[in-house]
Amino acid sequence: MADLTGREVNADVVESCRLGDRDAFRALYLLYKDRVYSVALYFFHGDPAVAADVTQQVFLKLITSIGQFRGDAGFSTWLYRLVVNECMDAARGRKSKVVTSDRARMEAFAVPGSQEEDYARTQMVSSVRSAISALPLKFRIAVLLRYFDELSYEEMAKALGCSMGTVASRLSRGHTMLAELLKA
Amino acid sequence: MKFTRHISTQLAARLDGQLTAAELRKAEEHLRTCVRCREESEQVRSGMAIIKSLESVAAPDEIWSSIEAGFQPAPKRPPWQRQWLLAPAVVLILAGIVWWRSASSWIETSSTSRTTISIGNIGTVEVEPNTRVRVVKDQPDEHRLTLARGEIRATISAPPKLFFVDTPSGTAVDLGCAYLLTAEEDGSDLLRVTRGWVSFQWKGLESLVPAGASCRTRPKAGPGIPYFDDASDALKRALETNGNLTIILSESRKRDTLTLWHLLSRVEVGDRARVFDRITALTPLPAGVTREKALQLDHQTLDHWREELAWTW
Repeated sequence: MADLTGREVNADVVESCRLGDRDAFRALYLLYKDRVYSVALYFFHGDPAVAADVTQQVFLKLITSIGQFRGDAGFSTWLYRLVVNECMDAARGRKSKVVTSDRARMEAFAVPGSQEEDYARTQMVSSVRSAISALPLKFRIAVLLRYFDELSYEEMAKALGCSMGTVASRLSRGHTMLAELLKA
Repeated sequence: MKFTRHISTQLAARLDGQLTAAELRKAEEHLRTCVRCREESEQVRSGMAIIKSLESVAAPDEIWSSIEAGFQPAPKRPPWQRQWLLAPAVVLILAGIVWWRSASSWIETSSTSRTTISIGNIGTVEVEPNTRVRVVKDQPDEHRLTLARGEIRATISAPPKLFFVDTPSGTAVDLGCAYLLTAEEDGSDLLRVTRGWVSFQWKGLESLVPAGASCRTRPKAGPGIPYFDDASDALKRALETNGNLTIILSESRKRDTLTLWHLLSRVEVGDRARVFDRITALTPLPAGVTREKALQLDHQTLDHWREELAWTW
């Protein structure tokens, strides 16, 4: 199956996945994997091991539950509901666990470039990442979902299980806190 | 003097183009006269610029390998095999002596044996030594076991409410999770959740247990109050033994609002306000939850409150 775009995730693709079409599921995975992984990575303070685990769990759950998708909500909304649940579950499970070293975290964000570029980018990413990590969980997941998949407020409300007004409020507060944290 | 409400909660929606025309008009009017909201709006704009500076990170290739391993295509079976599909899809991996005859028969492990039950294609149940368990139902829309005694470890990746375990003192309802369930000889159970959520139910009583938390149930008393495993020993002892509310309240941390939220509807009416006050001392009351409605145990209010508190659990 050729590469998919978000708008092409329709009933046929879902049905192919449900019937065990590995290529269809692979195409779906390729379409969303980086977005899901990025949300998890920034949500968990750049911890690549947890981000990989969350991504894996999200798609494993997708395999077993894709037959439940009826198309009454957008596929992204449905998928990100799994992402939100998995991030929250992993966050609860991690509260008393040892976290990954800072070096591993920085390597997770590394991209090719000159040493100076790398340094500047690393510093910037580190500051932003720390600021995001300092946000309360409900603000953190809201700003990440909004940015990485540009979900509408209505879609976010469905993914987060709250009202659109609550989404708006969390995004306002989350962005304000981010600005304050990086100014300090 | 003209009083207007600040629009802090709408600032992101305004910048994201998510306000209706009427809402936008009101917001713009307010911003023209309110310095505080204008400053906040600039902060929101700045926060948005910061988040947009983030780069998407490519998922490592090895993730697909582990996903693919769990990918089992639904086979197209010839008609003669369809009868076989009606039989329970239970696979036993023996590590000792196990007695198993059919879906309705009991599975018993000895003191030296273990076994694994495959639950359709949604997960597995590890059956520990000295355990007696039975597969009651194995259908795509409901997988149900009965645990008479011993210990099982369930790992389920599926939508909620597909996998159930009945015990002498209640029913564990899977909400997409992994957990350990021990049924004692005296009929009590201990549930320890390691991933996701489990709902423990008995005659209309329900305890919701998230990852990192445990819950004990007793015969004819149903599910107890859940607590986080890292809660203080004093709190856990108080829950386990005498239910001393003063100790429970004083030992509670923000995260222990899990315990307090469940207590709210289980304590005597006269103690309800004490529990409410302790929760609100630990975490602010969210919009939409009032003291009056919470103390009346209004279901909608309590559900909404739990959803908000769960962000700290």
